Amino acid sequence: MQVIETQKLSKEYSTKFSKQKVNALNDFTFNVSQGEIFGLLGPNGAGKTTLIKILLAITFPTSGNAKIFGTDVTNYKAKTKVGYLPENHKFPSYLTGGQVLMYYGQLSGMKNDNKMTKRIDEMLGLMNLTQWKNTKIKKYSKGMMQKLGLAQAMLSEPDLIFLDEPTDGVDPIGRKEIRDILTEIKSRGKTIFLNSHLLSEVEMICDRVAILNKGDLIKEGNVDDLTRAENVFVISTVETLNMELKQKILAIDQNAGAGENEIHTEAGTDKRNQIIDLVRKNKIRIHTVNQKTSSLEELFINVIKKDNTN
Amino acid sequence: MITIIKNTFREALAKKIFIGYYIFYAIVVLIMIFAVNLDAVDGIVSFTDVQKVIKSVETGFLSLSFNLILFFSLISASSFVPSMLEKGTIDLLISKPVSRFTILISKFLGAVIFVGLSMVFLIGSIWLILSLKSGYWNSSFLIAILSLTTAFAVMYSITVVIGLTTQSSIIAILVNFFMIFVLCPVLSIRESLIFTFVKNDAVQFVFNFLYYVFPKPGEIKDVTNALISEENIAFWKGTVTQNEIGITLIEPSWMSVITSVIFCAALMAYSVYYFSKKDY
Repeated sequence: MQVIETQKLSKEYSTKFSKQKVNALNDFTFNVSQGEIFGLLGPNGAGKTTLIKILLAITFPTSGNAKIFGTDVTNYKAKTKVGYLPENHKFPSYLTGGQVLMYYGQLSGMKNDNKMTKRIDEMLGLMNLTQWKNTKIKKYSKGMMQKLGLAQAMLSEPDLIFLDEPTDGVDPIGRKEIRDILTEIKSRGKTIFLNSHLLSEVEMICDRVAILNKGDLIKEGNVDDLTRAENVFVISTVETLNMELKQKILAIDQNAGAGENEIHTEAGTDKRNQIIDLVRKNKIRIHTVNQKTSSLEELFINVIKKDNTN
Repeated sequence: MITIIKNTFREALAKKIFIGYYIFYAIVVLIMIFAVNLDAVDGIVSFTDVQKVIKSVETGFLSLSFNLILFFSLISASSFVPSMLEKGTIDLLISKPVSRFTILISKFLGAVIFVGLSMVFLIGSIWLILSLKSGYWNSSFLIAILSLTTAFAVMYSITVVIGLTTQSSIIAILVNFFMIFVLCPVLSIRESLIFTFVKNDAVQFVFNFLYYVFPKPGEIKDVTNALISEENIAFWKGTVTQNEIGITLIEPSWMSVITSVIFCAALMAYSVYYFSKKDY
């Protein structure tokens, strides 16, 4: 089931004091399925926040349309099963942590009853904020505010959660806690739409990513597929490779790279097996054979550079 | 809707300006307790005279303070809309399954109801003190609660429009000041004073047009005083008379209330339209 569907979404902004138009999104079409953790990547000004805002009808598209759970996003009822944590969110400073959750919970359609009070306590407990429940949020640190924001987004048990930089300002332990919470939410079949600058984090959490640049979708796919380098295999050995063996390997695959304990080859299955046989014949034990992967960060930088030069 | 109204109350109570507002009202009430002394009635002054005195005190109080109370209330509530539109606040509010119409109208009603309750406190206390001291319970004075709240709602619609379009409470305060203390009073005296000097038809048309379009807080006060004093109120256009010393008097009319309410409804309709189309 598609939770988010967009059709040729475009957004054009005109600057305040000139007639110049800025394209924040160009014909953006994509889908997000139920139970996925979808990561949206892109440099500053790529159109990531604009996309989230269009999906929540905070901003309207210049053309195209978007649906959430099959309902057009301009219908406010589409947001009944949606949670959202905006970047740099601002809660009313005169409220306590508990009151903030109560306020936004009621706006999400929750009834002010024992069930809601219990849920608020549960969320505050999950975020380690129980002892701060009755403290005015103006006394909260940046990390605590972020956790409270996440609690607010998850309070009404939405089926789809939009998170815009959820770990911004959170310490490494807090980030790990948030990652664990997101994984736990995913295991319950919920869909998460994540917008984060921390690529390592996106790589760890997300199933699928889309890379945006200057309003264009330039890459989309599963994290594993995107980070897998094309046909490069790494054979690592327990014993050290000698010079004679290295030359024999080059005789099989002249493009192979042989180090002290590693052989890099782009050769096909047959030649790869010949290399392995040769190594084992020389009484050298194979430690691992892996297809080489690049990090999401490497992929991101390469893709953006390539797009910018084009 | 109730959730946003309740939160507007919380916001109002958290603002220091509202604390000042209530301290000021409490001082006014205390002055009334100690300054108004009608204990010496015992037969020397008739009950009819007491009624007249009470009505005079009540209308006198409104004449002096109606516009000030109105303006003070507008200053206090002027930041509600701009603060709601702050980045990080409005995004979150719109992301909830609540229509933009409901968000804006609830904010408006929250401010109006809060000011209305403040009027219950102020006018109610003054009425209670005067009634207890005189023994004359003039319930028509309580109409001032409704008229002050209505006048606030009318003028607050200007604050809402300005807040939405400029996100500035300062501009809203300045425009309200100009309307309450300059433009509306000038337009009210256009026939009795300005037209005696300005004979040009086109200019007179512009003045008349602006008079009927713009709100009339001063005349809402006149209607309230007429109701308290049990004087006549015309439906559309009050008769113009001159008193013994030559001052022109205009009979208050319901037209001032009707056109002001229409102005408020039109401005709120525009505000809702603007808010529902705006990108945040």
